[in-house]
Amino acid sequence: MIYISFFEYNLAAGGVQKFLGVQNYVKVLYDPIARGSVSFTVFITVMGVIIETLLGLLLALLVIGVKGERVMRLCFLIPMTIPMAVSGMIWRMLFNTTFGPINYFLSLFGISRISWMGDPFFAPLTILIVDIWQWTPFVFLILYAGLKSIPPVYIEAAMVDGADEWRLTRHIRLPMLRDLIMVVVLLRSIDLLKLFDSVYMITGGGPGTTTYTFSYLIYQVGFITGINLGYASALSVILLIAIMLLTTALIRILNVRRLLGG
Amino acid sequence: MRIAPTRVVRYVVLVLLLMFFLFPVYWMVITAFKTSDKWFTWPPTFIPWPFTLDSFLGRGEVYRTASLREVAPFLINSLGVSLITSALTIILATFTAYSISRFKTGGMRFLSWILSMRMLPPIAVGVPIYVIFYHFGILNTWLALILVYTVFTSSFGVWVLVSFFNDIPRELDESAYIDGCSPFQAFTKIILPISLPGIIAVFIISFTLCWGEFLLALLLTYDKAAQTIPVFIGRYITGFQIAWGPIAATGLVAMLPVTILTFIALRYLISGLTLGAVRG
Repeated sequence: MIYISFFEYNLAAGGVQKFLGVQNYVKVLYDPIARGSVSFTVFITVMGVIIETLLGLLLALLVIGVKGERVMRLCFLIPMTIPMAVSGMIWRMLFNTTFGPINYFLSLFGISRISWMGDPFFAPLTILIVDIWQWTPFVFLILYAGLKSIPPVYIEAAMVDGADEWRLTRHIRLPMLRDLIMVVVLLRSIDLLKLFDSVYMITGGGPGTTTYTFSYLIYQVGFITGINLGYASALSVILLIAIMLLTTALIRILNVRRLLGG
Repeated sequence: MRIAPTRVVRYVVLVLLLMFFLFPVYWMVITAFKTSDKWFTWPPTFIPWPFTLDSFLGRGEVYRTASLREVAPFLINSLGVSLITSALTIILATFTAYSISRFKTGGMRFLSWILSMRMLPPIAVGVPIYVIFYHFGILNTWLALILVYTVFTSSFGVWVLVSFFNDIPRELDESAYIDGCSPFQAFTKIILPISLPGIIAVFIISFTLCWGEFLLALLLTYDKAAQTIPVFIGRYITGFQIAWGPIAATGLVAMLPVTILTFIALRYLISGLTLGAVRG
């Protein structure tokens, strides 16, 4: 019941804006900060999804069947279990310009201190690295579970036919994971599109507005700088539509009908 | 012997990745135990010796900010909100999921709609919820957080439990009917006891979600009457001066319960996170 009221309210908020004209929506097109936040959100989503998927897949393939598999599996999962606020805090310490261990490691290679969170070039990278660190384990977990569920008969049969590790992976494991990889890609896209916590914790959108994600922009517009709920709602509706499109794709793949057994 | 080089490469890559994924955690743990003169050093201190519990007990001279006593109200908020939400979640989700699994209530549309609730960006609902709660006068209360969280947690709870119930043979229900049970009795007497592991898992997952949730707590609460631990951490970290020791100690306290719970519920977590696309 509560849901419905939220939903209708959200639509109603859209209705009220019509009353003002579609100005709020037109404004989005001409607002340089909004455009910047869209391009940053797209950047982080595309890069994040690609790197996390590939790295997670690599991890899953590497870990399976290795010595100490069970321990390693747990170790790789730890980042995923940490609340995002805590991981933001950790990385803020690590990326600290003056005392941070990351700059220390770099200095061993003769690289001078980098202002990770204050530089318009490095700040987006910082956010990206943190997201990769936190969510690659998720991708790993899913794909690893997928690999585990491949019936061993297939692998054995292929080995009898003389397939080496590379061929096993290329012709048996990857094709069997295809649907699962799609699910992971969609889930990560949906989550990355609404990225907020790490931006808030680590860069605060800065320097300037370089690392504003769409969610962070809505937060700023709606709650911090002059409470402009109309504009914030217009932005929310846009985000909502983008996510709905992805969710629809996800529902197709998940095959909801099968869950209902019909 | 031909395989040896690839094996070496495999281990080297694994160890490098392991360092990347574990070093940040290690860093937080040691920082929490460092004495205050080791927080800001160059080169950084990698071994916390001598170690101290000052950061946990708030005995530092200047930085009293994040001692355990200060953190306690926020921990209680987190705990209270997460526990109540999770309890509500299992009640709502079990009934809904059973009804969907056995009687196809609402059909595809309903199930897809529940899924889209899980995907909803919190910031997009944040604006209208803020306005509604403002009019109800329940901003900055447990009730506000519990109401919103239940929406998100019960939607995935339903997903996990539908696939769980689907795995329980229908013959069990039917034999209960034959013995004279009503559908409700069949549910409470036969199905509930069997599906207890799944229900506990849903409880743990929703607890974890509530515990870590940040954005909505940030919007809907503003002081220790209802604010949760992640927001508390966020407030200190974005402040002007950060005392690394105490904040790392707080982080450790905030992380441990959910990390442990996650490992316990891992098997079910998989189907919860992937909406049943993989069976754990």
